[in-house]
Amino acid sequence: MRTRDRASSASSDLRGGAQHGESGPSRPPPGGLTLKQRTTIRRAITYALFIAPAFLLFTMFIVYPMLSAMKFSFFNWNGLLQGDFVGIANFQTLFTRYPYNEQVWTALGHNAYFFVLTMVVQNGIGLALAVALDRGIRGRAFFRNAVFLPHLLPTVVVGFLWYLMLNPQFGVINQGLEATGLGWVARPWLGDPSTAFTTIAFVNAWSWIGFPMVIFLANLASIPDEYDEAAKVDGANSWQRFRYISLPLLVPSLTIVTVLTFIGNFNAFDLVYSMAGSEASPGGSTDVLGLLFYRIAFDSADPNAVGVGNALAVLMFFLVFGVSNVWLRMFKRKEIAY
Amino acid sequence: MRRFRVIHWFSFAIICLIAAACAPSEEVANDEGDSSGRGSVTVWSWRTEDVAGYEKIFETFTEETGIEVEFKAHVNTEYDTILETALKGGKGPDVMQLRAYGTLQQLVDGDYLVPLDGAIDRLEEFSDQALAGATGLKDGRVYGVPFAIQTLQVFYNKAIFSENDIEVPETYEDFTAAAEKLKGAGVTPIAAGGGDTWTLPILHSVVGAEVYGGDSFVDGILAGDQDFNSPEFVESVGAVEDLMPYLPEDPASVAYTDTQVMFTQEQAAMFIGGSWEAGYFSSTNPDLDFGTFAMPPRSGEEALVPWFTDGSYGVNSQSPNTDEAQQLVEWMASEEYGQLFVDELKQISPVPGVEFEDPILQEMVAAYEEANTPYLLLVYFRYGDPTGTDLIGADIQKMMLGDLGPQEVAASLEKGVSQWYEPGKLEEVTETQP
Repeated sequence: MRTRDRASSASSDLRGGAQHGESGPSRPPPGGLTLKQRTTIRRAITYALFIAPAFLLFTMFIVYPMLSAMKFSFFNWNGLLQGDFVGIANFQTLFTRYPYNEQVWTALGHNAYFFVLTMVVQNGIGLALAVALDRGIRGRAFFRNAVFLPHLLPTVVVGFLWYLMLNPQFGVINQGLEATGLGWVARPWLGDPSTAFTTIAFVNAWSWIGFPMVIFLANLASIPDEYDEAAKVDGANSWQRFRYISLPLLVPSLTIVTVLTFIGNFNAFDLVYSMAGSEASPGGSTDVLGLLFYRIAFDSADPNAVGVGNALAVLMFFLVFGVSNVWLRMFKRKEIAY
Repeated sequence: MRRFRVIHWFSFAIICLIAAACAPSEEVANDEGDSSGRGSVTVWSWRTEDVAGYEKIFETFTEETGIEVEFKAHVNTEYDTILETALKGGKGPDVMQLRAYGTLQQLVDGDYLVPLDGAIDRLEEFSDQALAGATGLKDGRVYGVPFAIQTLQVFYNKAIFSENDIEVPETYEDFTAAAEKLKGAGVTPIAAGGGDTWTLPILHSVVGAEVYGGDSFVDGILAGDQDFNSPEFVESVGAVEDLMPYLPEDPASVAYTDTQVMFTQEQAAMFIGGSWEAGYFSSTNPDLDFGTFAMPPRSGEEALVPWFTDGSYGVNSQSPNTDEAQQLVEWMASEEYGQLFVDELKQISPVPGVEFEDPILQEMVAAYEEANTPYLLLVYFRYGDPTGTDLIGADIQKMMLGDLGPQEVAASLEKGVSQWYEPGKLEEVTETQP
C-alpha cells in the first residue's frame, strides 16, 4: 500500500509540473522538455527495452495469429487464396450445412460431457488423493510420484498404449477380465458407441490425475496447521475438518483446476484423435469440437475450408475464453483470506 | 498511478516502432525459387514408397534428353497442403503429381497449371476415362498426363480357397456359399472393416456397383433422372449390410491396417480393395499366393469392376523451366514410360500400348477391360463439400453399428451432396463411355 501512495503522490507532482510547464513561460526547458518529462521518457525507453522481447514474441506468435484467424473467418477462401469478404457466411455454413449442422451440436455436447466426467472422476479422485497424502500416509513421496507418472507421457503415447490395451482381439484389458471370471464385462470398449467416449474420458483422467493432485497438495500444504488442530480440539471429525476447514481454503486451487479442466476439455483433440481418429469412430460417438475442426480444415473437399474452419476456431475461442473469465470472477468472490 | 500510465503509453509506442522496424518488407520474401538452371526439372509426388522406382525410370529420360530430373516425394497426407502453399508463394516444382477430379479442380481454379491438350498430341490416344480425372470441370481442358488407373475388386487367398475346396465364385450364390463354408471352417471370410471410414465407399462400390445397375444408374444420376434415394441405390447399400456376417467380429471398429494384416497373415480368405494393394501384399508377405476377381453379380448380368483415375502429372504455370517440364510430361505419355512405370511400380498405367507382365496386374486389367464402371462417389461426388465418399463412409460405419439402415444411409448421402451438386453439370466433362 505504501508504494501505491508514493506513486499517486508522485503522479500528482508530475501533473502539477506539466501544468506549470505549459502555463508558465518563465522557465523554457532545453529542447522543449522539462527535466521530469525527460526522466519520464528515459524511463519509458528503459521499460520498453525490457518489455520488448516478450512483447514482440507474444504479439508475433499469439496475438497476430489469433487476430488473423478472426479475420480469415470473415472471408471466402479458394484453397489458400483469400477471396471476398463474406461477413458471417462461414459461421452460417457451420450451422446450416449438413452434416456440420448436426455434428457441431453433438460435438459440443460431448465436450460438455467430457468436462463433467473429468471434474467428477479426475478432479474428484485427485482431491481425495491429495487430502489422503496431505494427512500423512506412509510412502507419501512414492504415491505422489506414482500417481503423477502417467502425466509425463506424451498424449499420443497414452492414446496408443490404451488403444492397444483396449483392443478387443488381443488387448490386455479384456483378457484380464476374462481371466478373472469377469468375461461378461468385456466388450469392445472403443468399438461400442455407448462406451467409446466414456472410455476415452477415463483414459484422459488416468493420464491427468496427477496434475490436480499436485495443485491441491500445494494448496493444502499452505493452509496453516493451527486451523486443523483447533477444529480437532473442538471435536470435529475427519470429514468435518475437510468440509469446513480444508475445502473453503482450497477454493483458489479449485478455481484453477476447474478453469484449466474446462479449457483442456473444450479444446480436446489429441487424445481423442489418437484413439478414435478424425472420423470420431465409431459412428461419430466420440466427436468433439476439435475433431470437427480438424475434419473441416484438413479433411474436407471444400475449397473454403480455411474460412469455415477458422469460423469454428473463433467460436471455440470465444466459448472457452468467455466461460473461463466468468468462472474466474465468480470463484474469486468465494475466496477466503486468512 | 498517472505517471505510470504515461510511461506505459510511451513504452507501447516505442515497442510499436521497434516492431514496425523489424517487420519484413514484402519484397524480401521473393527469392529465387526451387529450381533454376537449364536442363533440370523438379518433380513432386505423394508416393514416398515409389521414390526408388521413379528415380530409376527418370534415368532413362535423362539419358535420352540430357535433362536432369530431381524427384521429391512428400508424405501423402501432407502433400496437398505443401503443394498448395508452394504454388501460392509462386514457387513449387516444375512438374507435379496431381490428384484427380475434385481435388485437381482447386489447382485449376488457382491458374497454377498449364493446359496440355493441344500441346501433347499423344493425349488424344488416352481413353476418355483416364483423361476425365485430369480434366478441368469448368473449361474441359486437360491439365495432366494420367499416371495410373486403379481398379476395385476382391482379392482372395488361393491356398485357403483350395484347402477348403472352393472355386473362384461366378455367381453371388457361389460367393455366399463360399463365405459360409469358410466361416464354418473358422476362417474369417472377408477382411474388411469400418474402423477407417474411407475404406467403406470402396467396399460399397465393389459390392454395390452392379446392384445399382452400373453405368445406367451413373448416367441417370448425372442427368438428374435419378437420385440416391432410388430403390436400386438403397439396395446397393443393403448389399454391404448383407456381407456383415462374413466380416470380422465388431466390424465397425476393425481398422484398415488390421484388415491388411488379417489378409497378409492368411487369417482371412478375402480382401476387398483397390489395385494398389497388390504391391503391398506381395512385399509384406512374399509367400502369399493370391489372386483377384470381380465381385460376382447378383442380377445374373456381368460382373463390374469399378475404377478411377488415380491422378496425373502436370506442369506448373509459374515454372521458369516450362519447356523442359513439358518435355518431361510428354515423355510420361509415351509407351516407353508407361512400360517402365508398369514394370517398376506394379500399377496399372493408362498409357495406351503398355503390356502387363505381372500375373496379378494382368488379371485385374483383364477383368477391368471386360466390364467396368466408374467408382461413382469418388469420380463424380468429390467436387463439393460434404463429399459423397465422406458421407457414405461415416454412415455405413453407423450401419455396421446397427444405428442406421440402408434407406437412411442413402437418404443422408442424398441430403448431403444435394447441397452443392447440380445434375447435368458434371456429365459434359466426364463422359463415362469413350
